[in-house]
Amino acid sequence: MHIPDGFLDLPTATGAAVLAAGGVAVALRETRRRLEPRQVPLMALTATFVFVAQMLNFPVAAGTSGHLIGAALAAALVGPAAAVLVLTTVVVVQCLVFADGGLLALGANLLNMALLAPVAAWAAGLPLRRTLPGLAGRLAGATFGGWVAVVLAAAACAGELALAGAAPWRTVAPAMIGVHLLIGAGEGVITALVLAAIARARPELVTAAGAGSARRFLRTGVLVALALALFAAPFASSLPDGLEAVAERLGFAALEQPAALPAPAPDYALPGLASPLAATAAAGVLGALGMLGVALLLGRALARPREAGSA
Amino acid sequence: MAAVKALEVTGLSYRYPDGTPALDGVSFALAEGESVGLIGPNGAGKSTLLLHLNGLLPDVPPAEPAVRVLGQPLTRDRLPGVRREVGLLFQDPDDQLFCPTVREDVAFGPEQFGLAGPDLAAEVARCLATVGLAGYEDRLPHHLSRGEKRRVCLAGVLACRPRLLVFDEPTADLDPRGRRDLKALLAGLPVTKLIASHDLEMIAALCPRVVLLDQGRVVADGPAAELLADEPLMLAHGLERPPGLSRRHPPG
Amino acid sequence: MRPDFLDRHARLASPIHRLPTAVKAGAALLLLIALALVPPRQPWLFALVALLLVAVAGASRIPPRFLLGRLLLLEPLALGVAALAFLQPGGWRHFLLLVGRSTLALGVVLLLSQTTPFAALLRLLRRLRLPALLVTLLALMYRYLFVLADEAERLQRARASRTFSRRRGRDWRAIAAVAGRLFGRASERSERIYGAMCARGWRP
Repeated sequence: MHIPDGFLDLPTATGAAVLAAGGVAVALRETRRRLEPRQVPLMALTATFVFVAQMLNFPVAAGTSGHLIGAALAAALVGPAAAVLVLTTVVVVQCLVFADGGLLALGANLLNMALLAPVAAWAAGLPLRRTLPGLAGRLAGATFGGWVAVVLAAAACAGELALAGAAPWRTVAPAMIGVHLLIGAGEGVITALVLAAIARARPELVTAAGAGSARRFLRTGVLVALALALFAAPFASSLPDGLEAVAERLGFAALEQPAALPAPAPDYALPGLASPLAATAAAGVLGALGMLGVALLLGRALARPREAGSA
Repeated sequence: MAAVKALEVTGLSYRYPDGTPALDGVSFALAEGESVGLIGPNGAGKSTLLLHLNGLLPDVPPAEPAVRVLGQPLTRDRLPGVRREVGLLFQDPDDQLFCPTVREDVAFGPEQFGLAGPDLAAEVARCLATVGLAGYEDRLPHHLSRGEKRRVCLAGVLACRPRLLVFDEPTADLDPRGRRDLKALLAGLPVTKLIASHDLEMIAALCPRVVLLDQGRVVADGPAAELLADEPLMLAHGLERPPGLSRRHPPG
Repeated sequence: MRPDFLDRHARLASPIHRLPTAVKAGAALLLLIALALVPPRQPWLFALVALLLVAVAGASRIPPRFLLGRLLLLEPLALGVAALAFLQPGGWRHFLLLVGRSTLALGVVLLLSQTTPFAALLRLLRRLRLPALLVTLLALMYRYLFVLADEAERLQRARASRTFSRRRGRDWRAIAAVAGRLFGRASERSERIYGAMCARGWRP
């Protein structure tokens, strides 16, 4: 989900960077308010852990494998504000050290993966943590939160690409979100499994984090969501014309003239294209309901004390 | 007897948060300039004791501290000053070498104490030269060998200009050459030293006196030549008489 | 991971390596902005940037094979996103435009990271008044990448040596268990690092 350089235009990249900087500043202030000194190295090592855990492969099928993204896990371990800083650290190192994710696109990547993802994961898990007591609730919340985080980050990513004119919203959104409805399910399950494993080995690390900041952070989450909505509104409201205007301004319209080679998916030829956005939204709602069920079951099952002899 | 002790521990007890007793009435003292070995089996409480010596344990400094450094009790407000006097070298050099470059790591301590600019650079160069790593400023910690890492750690500790050096297993995981170099380095440092180690040969070579700790208590405190050669005592506490010793100090 | 995987050539003594970090980072950013501004109908401007990159790469004395290898390693990520171009008319030309632009941008960032030690970038960020807490987090994370990656490798090897079945569900649990233990170790290490920082007078 890292956007490389070369896909975002300057206005989008700059806008995202400004939003990301604001969000990180809020998280910094929130974290500093009740920062215990020993949390500084803990946050850094959590960032390192998230990075390294992303390299563990979970086999899926036919030689493919998935891996952890980690926003929901970080939020569950250190709380939402600290998780924003943890993920910021991860994304910046990935960009500067591994050239994974662009430098000009850093703001957008931070916005999607370091701000939106952990805050959404944490907020989405809140009702489940309230409903189910103890570890089961935390695991269920992390499962659902992991799914929501991935889907929302993918949607934001699609939005930025569309806004920048790299691809039209009504095709890029269903493509990105559709794939990530599935990837998100994997993320939710992996997050729960890892969190359960940590809870088994070191219960104090899972129960202690993130408590007592609920209302404050909900407010922050709402603010971030509002900012995002404001950011997205100009193009979302005038779809699809708005995007085509953007594309034209950038000169892509000129490229639409007779393509030398047939494009695999020209936008007027896709069957049922009138409604892929609606279909995606429907899939999203169904997915959310399904994931809620999975989260509740998984949370209950994993929180049960394990019988001896199992891994 | 008015001379101030470099380190004084009186009746120090500590329980882990889960209630397991770790230290039980530990008392001993170090005169200035002394080199003392701290020996004992695994789990005897050596590392826990060392963490008390610069106030990393207990989490909340007690009203009447059991530890005095250079005559100063380790109270909360004295902690920063005392930490400067006590240089602690940890077991795993990766824990202690936490900066991205050697220069920044060695500079970390003095920077906290307000040193900056050319003075800081000179101090870093001096400390690196002391540990035999002159010119290593721009090296990266993850490119160093284990012995080099440990010596950078020592340079970082020396840069705080401590008057008491405390070592936790300084020779662990070093190859023979790294161990030999480090031994020579320690022998040449003109400060009070407390060295916790299973490397009894090194203790015998560096420390005229040893304190034997087992199950959180001081079991013996005396001349190294005597205690280390006392085979029954060593065996009773999970240790061995260092082979090199028997030749130089025949039992008797 | 080999300890010099990231920065094998970041310490060469070429004229490019010797440039001040701020100059290099600023130039990289300007180049990226320029690339973003190249109009689609003037692709020859890409050739200009490409020429400049080749010249800088040559002056940096980093083996070209190494740079090309890294570029190829990262290229699939850009290709994947560029494939989105096929979702709209004019797919091929749009695709080539995006690939060209993103490959050149990748080259810019790659050259920056390979001629500038990360510690120097951190110093620059500190000079630019990035909040100290963030700089500390970045420095610590970078420092412990290899330490933790090694620990993960050891844990995985230990798991593999005791794994005899190939049941998928179990597999996921076992991998999650590795991650769980890794976090346990990471948090223990953070405690020891905290002790080491305090021991040398650190107060946040």
